[in-house]
Amino acid sequence: MTSNRVFFNTSSRKARCARRFLQSLLRIRQRRPGSLSSEEVRQRSRRIKMAAYSSMACTVGSRRAWSRAIIFRLQSRAGRHGRMRRRCLGVKKKPSREMSQADRLRDLVPGGEALDFCNLLEETAHYIKCLSSQVEIMKSIADIYCRS
Amino acid sequence: MLHCLRSPEDFAAIGRPETMKWLHQPQKFQQPSFHSKSFGFSQSSQIDDLNSVLREIPNRSMKAENSWDNGLPGLGDFPTAGTDFRGHGMGFELPEIAGSSLEMDHSISRTSSCPLPDLGAATSVDGRELAGRNSVKKRKAEVALTEECKDQKIKRDEEEEESKIEEKHSEISPNASKVSGSPKPDYIHVRARRGQATDSHSLAERARREKISKKMKYLQDLVPGCNKITGKAGMLDEIINYVQSLQRQVEFLSLKLATMNPRTDFNLDTFLGKEFPAYVAAGFPTAAASSEMANLPFLQFQPVPQGITSCELHMPIDPPQSALQMTTSSSTSVPEMFTNSTSFSQVQPFTTWDTDLQSLYTGEFQ
Repeated sequence: MTSNRVFFNTSSRKARCARRFLQSLLRIRQRRPGSLSSEEVRQRSRRIKMAAYSSMACTVGSRRAWSRAIIFRLQSRAGRHGRMRRRCLGVKKKPSREMSQADRLRDLVPGGEALDFCNLLEETAHYIKCLSSQVEIMKSIADIYCRS
Repeated sequence: MLHCLRSPEDFAAIGRPETMKWLHQPQKFQQPSFHSKSFGFSQSSQIDDLNSVLREIPNRSMKAENSWDNGLPGLGDFPTAGTDFRGHGMGFELPEIAGSSLEMDHSISRTSSCPLPDLGAATSVDGRELAGRNSVKKRKAEVALTEECKDQKIKRDEEEEESKIEEKHSEISPNASKVSGSPKPDYIHVRARRGQATDSHSLAERARREKISKKMKYLQDLVPGCNKITGKAGMLDEIINYVQSLQRQVEFLSLKLATMNPRTDFNLDTFLGKEFPAYVAAGFPTAAASSEMANLPFLQFQPVPQGITSCELHMPIDPPQSALQMTTSSSTSVPEMFTNSTSFSQVQPFTTWDTDLQSLYTGEFQ
């Protein structure tokens, strides 16, 4: 029946991203329904953050270097729980004074380490666009929650 | 238009663009002092020279256009490539004009090369001979590429003329810093700006720098509040700060979402419908559906029994019908209508039950 399709047009990228994010949000909530301990809240927020990045990256697909990097990071993290994280923490040991602006940008944008400056700027532009739309989605979801 | 031009036999098709080009001549001739600045041409002299060449255009255009198609699609991507080729800058808005301008420039360049010996002008046009390296190809705008391709093709087709002209270039211009002696068949001719180095390395550098500045401009539009900032360093700082702030926002919002307790009647569809009323596909009264969807969360907090939620799930499916049925609702505002419709739907199953039961009883008793 077409009635279900009346309500949202999932062909829009933002709606697809939101849908994916909401589904993972539901899953996270279903795991542990409303615990208030700070540690659990922190863990849940970390999971929600990962869900946000993964929904963002999955919607973009493998078209962009940053989305590929995020997907790869999440998949490898899923495979080996602690090891990747510890390794990633140890990677950037340069003092921030020596890092040029381009290096700082490479730190921020996932997958930016291997890019030359020109492509880095392009990836940054796309990353900023997707990140800001993801922030909008999360804000509106939080607003809906707030109104409840 | 391009497709027609591809086949050399299509003279009829070619005739049309030719007239277009000729019509666009006057535009062309203004620009290009980038060609001629090296020669110090005045516009009028250009026109005189060009008129002689224009007659030759039909012959050359055929072969030239074969190689156009590679370059032209790229034209749209490089609106700022005109900075390097100021002459072409104007033509980029309209592909036909651009195409014609390419053609014209090409012919202009060739004609302008002819009077070289007369003027004895030493020029940086000889930068053309310099950049004979394929690496430059990748950096340069497609415009240059198409010109080069055309150059190469036409060279192969028309042989002597071009090589003669180039030889003249090499002979005549003593200032040409690095001129290769014999014209090689796979030359890359690059237009160099006046007063700038024509070294292939610097040309490549310049192309790279322009690409980067183009991307920085695009980023400037994306990042709010960057309009006043000029300079790469300041812009990069702003960009870095903006990305950091966005990432911090994501973290903060995820914390906020983690601390919030969900309602028990959390419904994916209602969220998406509420969040993206714009995305609600046109179906049955879209406006009505979206506004009713928007009111669902309100309804969910009214003191209605839990049994209503199942009704609410079905509510969206036939809101218009329930709205139609709600002729009894006196208020015109949507929320109230909706409230009434929910209570109506709540009542509905019971009434059907009741009628069924009644019919059963009556049936039994009869």
